[in-house]
Amino acid sequence: MAAPSTVGSFPSPYEIETPPGCEGWEDMYPYYARFDEERREVDGQRFWFWNSMHFPLPMPAFDAICIDSPYQALGNWQNRVFAVPPAMGIDWRCINGYIYISGNPVLDPEKIGERAGYFQARAGYYYEHWDELYGKWRTKMEALIAELGELEVPALGEYEPDEVAFADAETGYVAVLSAYRNALRLIDVMWQHHFEFLLLGYGAYMTFAELCKANLPDIPDQHIAQMVAGLDVLLFRPDAELRRLARLAIDTGVDGAFVEGRSPEEIEAELAESDAGRAWLAELETVKEPWFHMATGDGLYHTYTSWLDDARIPYASLIGHIAALKAGEDIERPSDHIAEERERLATEYAALLGDEARQGFEQLLALSRTVFPYVEEHKFLCDYWFLTEWWNKIREFGDLFVAHGFFEDRDDIFQLSRLEVYSALDELALTWATGGQARGPKYWPPIIARRKEILERLAEWTPPPAVGAVPEAVLDPALIMLWGVTTQRVHAWAQHQEGGSELTGTAASPGVVEGVARVVKTVGDIGDVREGEILVCSITSPAWAPIFSKITAAVTDIGGVMSHAAIVCREYALPAVVGTGRATSQIKSGQRIRVDGTAGTVAILE
Amino acid sequence: MSVTRSLDELRQADAAAFGGKSSTLGELIAAGIPVPPGFAVSTTAFRAFVAEAGLDGMIAAELGRMAPDDVDSVGAASHAISQAMRFAPVPDAVRDEIGGRYAELGDDVPVAVRSSALGEDSQDATYAGQQETYLWVRGADHVCDAVRDCWVSLYSPPAITYRARLGAADAAMGVAVQLMVDAEVSGVMFTCNPVSGDPSMVAVNASWGLGLAVVGGEVTPDDYLVSKVTKEVVREHVHPKEVEYVPDAAGRGAVRVDVSAERRSVACLGPAAIEALVDVAGRVETYFGSHQDVEWAVARGGELPGSLFVVQSRPVTALPRRGDPPPATSAMALVMSAFGAGEKKRN
Repeated sequence: MAAPSTVGSFPSPYEIETPPGCEGWEDMYPYYARFDEERREVDGQRFWFWNSMHFPLPMPAFDAICIDSPYQALGNWQNRVFAVPPAMGIDWRCINGYIYISGNPVLDPEKIGERAGYFQARAGYYYEHWDELYGKWRTKMEALIAELGELEVPALGEYEPDEVAFADAETGYVAVLSAYRNALRLIDVMWQHHFEFLLLGYGAYMTFAELCKANLPDIPDQHIAQMVAGLDVLLFRPDAELRRLARLAIDTGVDGAFVEGRSPEEIEAELAESDAGRAWLAELETVKEPWFHMATGDGLYHTYTSWLDDARIPYASLIGHIAALKAGEDIERPSDHIAEERERLATEYAALLGDEARQGFEQLLALSRTVFPYVEEHKFLCDYWFLTEWWNKIREFGDLFVAHGFFEDRDDIFQLSRLEVYSALDELALTWATGGQARGPKYWPPIIARRKEILERLAEWTPPPAVGAVPEAVLDPALIMLWGVTTQRVHAWAQHQEGGSELTGTAASPGVVEGVARVVKTVGDIGDVREGEILVCSITSPAWAPIFSKITAAVTDIGGVMSHAAIVCREYALPAVVGTGRATSQIKSGQRIRVDGTAGTVAILE
Repeated sequence: MSVTRSLDELRQADAAAFGGKSSTLGELIAAGIPVPPGFAVSTTAFRAFVAEAGLDGMIAAELGRMAPDDVDSVGAASHAISQAMRFAPVPDAVRDEIGGRYAELGDDVPVAVRSSALGEDSQDATYAGQQETYLWVRGADHVCDAVRDCWVSLYSPPAITYRARLGAADAAMGVAVQLMVDAEVSGVMFTCNPVSGDPSMVAVNASWGLGLAVVGGEVTPDDYLVSKVTKEVVREHVHPKEVEYVPDAAGRGAVRVDVSAERRSVACLGPAAIEALVDVAGRVETYFGSHQDVEWAVARGGELPGSLFVVQSRPVTALPRRGDPPPATSAMALVMSAFGAGEKKRN
């Protein structure tokens, strides 16, 4: 771990050493992703923080598209469309495979004034027509997902099909190259849609939160969130469907197949043996579309597949729900209670305010509730459904490379950058057409093997939460709204460089719990979580909902009260501390820890 | 002569005759707040006492010759008047009436005798010098003595200095006598956070034993901030509580003792007590229509919420100003300013 040069500072991004055996990691990433000498004077003085919320693991070369494409989109909407007065977009750099980001502020008052005019007109239009625009957005997203589904990756056989010869069809090699270009276009469009409403959605919420805090200085953040959060949102449907299937299994007497420790295949094999079991499986099929497009994790990596690809999570959840039902427990999400509590809090807080403040409170609450469906639903449509399908589409190109001897495994494609893939595809098309000898089959496998090894080693390395200069204040609305990176948080990071037995974060869900920590760094570790443990992770995802019935508390590296970990923990009434900066690096699995979700602290007890 | 009334008969309008504390206790009872039963002694009793003892002239003379800015002079006047009052008898009629009221509360029961000053509610701080309380008083004679001691406190140095500066000649004092609560825990709560001004919070200070330790600042109390809306404890600080006041073993008065080691660092309020306190805070605030500073006690051996009693309530007068309140603009203008687009418009 990089030691700080002085207390209350961050290491310089230029002083961080490459872990042994990881030399050459830079080759995986674009030339502009490095802390290079040309920009040292500026980059060395900027504040950069590890975006462990989205990139908790070292980035595979291909997956870096999920840095460029979203930051193009975020910058575009924030800087070029809405012209948020004080902030342009987010820059990124890579250190040892980990992604650090930094905002670009607007400092010139005249420029800020000019941008304010654009912002008022354009953001005002969006807020005014929110429901209509969001309705259109849903249609656009659904069309985009459909288009992705229809995208074909043609096979390149010995001869072109007859249609090319007799019916003027497109040639295979052109179809392959354009399919790849199209795949890249589709993900850019997805990220474009993803960020269209994001800032405005979070911004309305933040403004409401600020008004609450100005008038009710001690109001817990979670009460603000509870007043706004939606009730019937897409994100909760997948788990609701699993609960329904669990009840169905019991009602039709097939629950005996759901034994802890069995694989999905074993369970399905037993179910296939009886009429009732087959009926249950048929019902499962109806649920899969679209609810199994839930991702197995909240991440922008190709390794996050959907429940369709990896049924272990939904089956683990089914096993848990069935066991709980048989034990006489109530497994229903207490949505009536949540709805009542949401209204009760809003009414009671409003009653405590003076007339003027109450008017602002009620208007902003209404606006926040208007924008919030987007905030909660874009995750399902963009991050889970589209993205898991898109990675699978890229895997189809991986199959093509395997078929032509370039790669050993379809997932090897993710070890090449998107431009390297395009280059390799060009060679594949060329040599397939010419019948000449391709270099790729000899050229790529050693590179792929070396990059896998580097990624494995980099995963053992612990990145510092921030590098560069400690900012006096964080003013960028995007950093505050989307990452929960506030001045206070950054200063706490700077002071806790050395670690220690207590971590501080945001109190996201109240309560105090002591227990054994389980550090989950990748989705593959989820299966290790045992009943009664405390989940420690970079960030949780609603896709992990099934394990929330097992754990007793959650701690994350990054995220604010509106992060999904926070929302789900409040749903499950589990204490949660989010945004600790370094929980996954300070805490080891098996350690006893105490999570105080009321105070926002985590103590390592042993 | 009728110089006493049952507390539950008093209302705010009686403040001129019985003092602020007694009339507020009457209002609390009317609001259904649990207040220990008791009676009030009117200012008429005080005036009768001074008149019958023939102290008018002496008091006027002492105060007339006092130099209000000279500490020694004030001290001498206060001493002279206090001594004279302590040796003067409480008139028989007053004594009999207090004795009768006391007997109605029970047989030789312990009571708290508290001064109930005029104008106490609104000018709390300036009357600090005459806020006398005598706890665990038993027997009619001792109650009368304690009432007289309350009257004497009207001539404490700070009280007479204050009145002299104000040019207020006339002074009078009421007294409240209440059944003693054998407090296991007691303290003070505000129906808002007095530090931040947050009206959705109840701020509670609590310590072991009788309320003297908290009110007198002799311990650093446990400190709770509780949401009125959800009854959740939002912040909690448990401090080591070194001393507490308990009834004297002889059965009269209260004594200061060390808190036993095993209770010192233990939180003195549990969830049931906090819930009862927040409930009462809400009712008191609603009844008076303003934020209140409430003294309370939880009786030993009782069961909550029935064992919680309020012994005093006054308005919170000075709340901090909370920054700049957001200007009266639309929600949209607020959102715009969150993005830094609040002021200038495109040309």
